[in-house]
Amino acid sequence: MLTVQNLSKYYGDRSILQDVSLHIPQGEIYGLLGPNGAGKTTIINIICNLIQPDRGTVKIDGELIGDATKSLIGIAPQDNLLYKGLTCWENLEFFATLYGLRGEARTKQVRSCLEAVNLVDRSHSLVGVLSGGMVRRMNMAIALVHHPKLVILDEPTTGLDIEARYEIWELIGQLRAQGTTLLLTTHMLEEAERLCQTIGILKNGHLLVEGDLAKLRQVIPAEEIVFMRTTAEKNAIERARELGFTERHYGNDLAFWLPEHKTLVELVNLFDGISIDSISIQPIRLEHIYIEITQAAQPV
Amino acid sequence: MRHWHETIAIARRILVELVRHRQSLILWSIFPISILILIGLILAEGTKISTTEAFRVSAPASLVGAALFFSCLGGTISTIVAERESSTLKRLFISPLSGISYFLGIFIAYGCIGLGQTLLVYTVAAFFDVQFSGSLILGAGIILLSIGSYVGMGFLLGTQVARQIEDVNGLVAGFGVPLLILGGAFFPIAFLPPPLLLITQFNPIYHMNQALLDVSANSKDLSDPDLILHFRFLVGFFVASIASGWLAYRRMLGQERRL
Repeated sequence: MLTVQNLSKYYGDRSILQDVSLHIPQGEIYGLLGPNGAGKTTIINIICNLIQPDRGTVKIDGELIGDATKSLIGIAPQDNLLYKGLTCWENLEFFATLYGLRGEARTKQVRSCLEAVNLVDRSHSLVGVLSGGMVRRMNMAIALVHHPKLVILDEPTTGLDIEARYEIWELIGQLRAQGTTLLLTTHMLEEAERLCQTIGILKNGHLLVEGDLAKLRQVIPAEEIVFMRTTAEKNAIERARELGFTERHYGNDLAFWLPEHKTLVELVNLFDGISIDSISIQPIRLEHIYIEITQAAQPV
Repeated sequence: MRHWHETIAIARRILVELVRHRQSLILWSIFPISILILIGLILAEGTKISTTEAFRVSAPASLVGAALFFSCLGGTISTIVAERESSTLKRLFISPLSGISYFLGIFIAYGCIGLGQTLLVYTVAAFFDVQFSGSLILGAGIILLSIGSYVGMGFLLGTQVARQIEDVNGLVAGFGVPLLILGGAFFPIAFLPPPLLLITQFNPIYHMNQALLDVSANSKDLSDPDLILHFRFLVGFFVASIASGWLAYRRMLGQERRL
């Protein structure tokens, strides 16, 4: 559905994107992760034909991006770009008209979008009076109003409470079930882990890694991660090295990669003689992989 | 046909928001009426002409100066700046909306308001026995050219000069009020000293005002040399405003087309 090939973009001497290639098959959710300034929004701008790349191509449904591909894309930008002085219905009707929908087809589509985002009962409410979660759902409804083949969601749950976040996740799941192709950018790794079939991690304009979670997990050659709090950190690290564990710091937490499963009792025995305040075993999550890849987690 | 639907959608959106907010519409109604009545009464008293004659002279000035200037120029600037501030302009750029439809949508929205103000001003003037005795088509043409010129200038100022909504009032007052005074919107230019009279000849508001005044008096066609001069100046200003507004809009596209 979406094929990005060797995309490069420069602002003056500064490289924003460097040879980025990615492919999203029909009906998949692709999660694009990366720290601020990694180049995620630049990729979206290029896909939406808002800025031109210096090198590379973008094809949607086999067609090179241009004015003709605008109606193939629906985007829910990070900022909710809606007319607060119009009602939900009026906002959707306005954008549906811009995308060429007319008459009964437009009315039907507006209603169906409101149903999809569960805002039928707020159809005639001004967008300016809706809650944050509702506004975000309206933002998504606008992206869907013209039945796009590719939907781009730019940090769809940023700033939302947990309840509203679950509503958005449910909606994204429904879209995927309907066969919609989605490109999702997010800082919430839990979100990407939960929703995306393929994840790409971008940093400084480079796509560092791409693949499904199983492939990304290979970045950390371990079964589990043990988190430890101890006043004898130096001794713990020495012992861990003797045991063949790889040590890492995740924020203030000291952690070791376990090459094979161990029980807590076994671990406590292995660290016998070292004063341990707390210890826990956690599965490897996308956040650990992300930190490893973006090298935010430095070796101790 | 696509452009037409887009244009109507833009115009409708602007009008719906204006009707819903009400405040601007109320002010745009009160302001020209109060200016018309004030200027009419001051002229009648100060120049010792009849009340009807005073209102006949002040009606076109109140319309192109007080009414259309603030609604069509100020309104266009506000619309563009508000869209830019709320970033909805970016969403329009993502959509297949054409620039022509966007421009025409704003023109039609403020055209509707301008025509409403025309009816209002001449309805009030009619209470003072003022009649529009010239060519209605020519009069409508002058009003539409004035609206188009103001919208074009609004695009130029809204895209290139005003950065935020607070700039709009200062811009309209600082740029507009001297032009209105020198254009004879608030009092006849006969009161102006000779050096300022010379500047007036290059002031588009003066030509809008005089063209409408001539037509409303008795001109049935473009045979009067003075009217031809005003009309030519107005057409030239209309073309220049539209062209500069369009170029400014294109320039803004390059600056703002980013999420």
